[in-house]
Amino acid sequence: MAITRRELITNIGKAGVPVAVAMTVGPQALQAEELSAPTEPLSLLYDATLCIGCKACESACSAANNTEPDTSGDGLHQAPADLNVFTRNIIKLYKPEDGSPSSFVKRQCMQCFDPGCVAGCPFEALYKDKDDGIVHWDGGKCIGCRYCTISCPYSVPRFQWLGFNPVITKCELCSHRLAKGLKPGCTSVCPTSAVIFGKRSALLLEAKRRIKSNPGHYYQDRVYGETENGGTQALYLSRVPFEKLGLPEIGPTSGPSSTLRWQKRIYSYFALPAVLYVGLVTVIRKNLKGHEQEAHEQEKETGLRAQL
Amino acid sequence: MSTATLSNRPFAGTKPPATDNKPRWERAVPVYGVTVITPFFLALVGLAILSLFLTVYREVVGLGPASGMNDKFGWGIWKTFNVVVLTAWGSGAFAVGVVAWAFGRKRLFPLMRMALLTSMLAYACGLCLLGVDVGRPWNFYWVVLPWHWNLHSPMAEIAICMSVYASIPLFLENIPPILERLWHVNVKWQPAVERIEHALHAFFPIIVAAAYLLPAMHQSSLGALMLLAGQRVHPLWQTPFLPLLYVGAATFMSFACVAGTTMLCCLVWKRAMDMEVLDEAARISAWTIFGWLAIRNLDLLFRGSLFTAFHFTSYAGIFWTETILIAYGGWMLLQSLKTHKRQTMFVGYALSSLGGMLYRFSPTTLAYMPGPHAMYFPSTIEILIALGFASIGIAIFLIAVKLLAILPASNQEWRNMAAYYKFRKPAISRNKYLGFFDHNELSLSDKKSH
Repeated sequence: MAITRRELITNIGKAGVPVAVAMTVGPQALQAEELSAPTEPLSLLYDATLCIGCKACESACSAANNTEPDTSGDGLHQAPADLNVFTRNIIKLYKPEDGSPSSFVKRQCMQCFDPGCVAGCPFEALYKDKDDGIVHWDGGKCIGCRYCTISCPYSVPRFQWLGFNPVITKCELCSHRLAKGLKPGCTSVCPTSAVIFGKRSALLLEAKRRIKSNPGHYYQDRVYGETENGGTQALYLSRVPFEKLGLPEIGPTSGPSSTLRWQKRIYSYFALPAVLYVGLVTVIRKNLKGHEQEAHEQEKETGLRAQL
Repeated sequence: MSTATLSNRPFAGTKPPATDNKPRWERAVPVYGVTVITPFFLALVGLAILSLFLTVYREVVGLGPASGMNDKFGWGIWKTFNVVVLTAWGSGAFAVGVVAWAFGRKRLFPLMRMALLTSMLAYACGLCLLGVDVGRPWNFYWVVLPWHWNLHSPMAEIAICMSVYASIPLFLENIPPILERLWHVNVKWQPAVERIEHALHAFFPIIVAAAYLLPAMHQSSLGALMLLAGQRVHPLWQTPFLPLLYVGAATFMSFACVAGTTMLCCLVWKRAMDMEVLDEAARISAWTIFGWLAIRNLDLLFRGSLFTAFHFTSYAGIFWTETILIAYGGWMLLQSLKTHKRQTMFVGYALSSLGGMLYRFSPTTLAYMPGPHAMYFPSTIEILIALGFASIGIAIFLIAVKLLAILPASNQEWRNMAAYYKFRKPAISRNKYLGFFDHNELSLSDKKSH
């Protein structure tokens, strides 16, 4: 017996359901999301206990990236209040009221292993380099939706609020200087070597060496960025709690992998939507046919043109 | 589907029993005998024109001077209200459609044209405003290059899925009333119009199925947007169930929008209300609301976040406002089924959609905590543009219901309309209704008698 078109569609649908379910909640999908770590991640190690707050790194950053100095504070000195479209790198001071230890903190892009900004960016305008792990912005793809400013747990990417051709600004680890064999702007001027540049593996060892030789000196004897948010390439050492410096306690699971798990599974290979679609077509085709028939019957009865 | 269930009391089904004198919605009839251009309409047009000028200003000077957005609050009401809230309110084509067509609640058919029109307008205005909101709209052309999509991004899902949905399935679903109008304008056009209608009907199952699948995807992705914001959304709202809750809120909000707007139109233009249809909509809406409230509060309970609702904070206040508005609205809808008071039903719809709007708005704005000293309040220009784009939608709605057969009414109403145009030609010519009905109605009955 020949198979009708409807039977064919129905059968495809029936066969598709288990396949789609398997693809969605299948064993591979249930495994922990594996991060494709960059082959040779480049890092910054910032030791807040060494920083004297001279802000040389701020002006070096401006010079290196050719950004206008932000003098909005007093109209004379480069003293930005926070990261902004002119400022990719900033030194802030944490000074508690109760007189407990204060600390400077250097803020710039953390170059996460699983960046929220890249996960959220609709058309891959923000992307992570496969080798050095630097997160770049491509103005040719960015639609300016500003989702990165919301999806970044460190609030790093900044949008240009003035002008008709706005850009997104974030630290790109001076990749143009790295290509010339130079170090990033901030690390090339730091007088106390509070911030140093190198391969992540080497800097992590150095951070752990500092903790080992000075037990109890650092907060929880911990390197922030080793595992936080799935691991970041910017590493921090501090005496005061990291949270006070604006580095939230996120835990070892990155934001995207903990929140977008189901988003990823449901849309994997588009299997589940496709099966749903076939099912909907079948049901609606059936219902529409009945409806059309009735509408025409009624047209005969009332003499008024059928509305479908 | 057997014919027994079909003849339940469908839109285009069997005639109601002759003994029954209750008003019935049997077909869509244009609002006739009133002018399109009223003072209210002119006010809407004025606001729309003003907003277009302000949009030019925003494009030239950038988002900063034109809006209250800042580094901490990267999103303003254009996204969080016009896109996130208003498309949910206007997703009737999806919610009412799924219930009517996929779940076979055929009593809701009379509401479908209202649902399709309100959805089309809400989505079109939302998408236009999204184009105004984004900083680099010229890069939107990446939408047509699938190999550059980041399909794991809820934002990409929304940008692609919403624009595809509004421009293809939703648009095509709205074509039949326009074709019908053309059919009545000129006898010579009728064969061509009928051919197009036939072709459209042949493709309807695949179009309609897409029109149900795509909104389910992007309405849930709107919820998934704020998942990535993590701890910065207050725990009363931040939950892995956010996508599901967003679709649920869209469902009861859009029922409120479709049924409530239809009731309002019936009041304004003195149409009879088919309480059987409205009761069905109210029943479905009320039970959706209670199901939704149960899911939301159980989730809060199991995550242990429900206790924060009893802290004396503004977040708890927003939570209780939402919950009470939605729950009381749902309760009023149930009450109206018993007391048969239209007023109760309408207020129930109004309250539940207000609560739903607040819920959809909160995670992106009211309950979004990007850090100390973060402050956002929309600027006057921002509010005017948001209202202006919404008023474009309302103005087009007012034109559409007066020119096209959108609002449901009885068959008798259609005959009254035909008679009206037959005997009041001067009024017709002034309103450009000329030729809409007079001889075509006769030609129709002639054709059918053959």
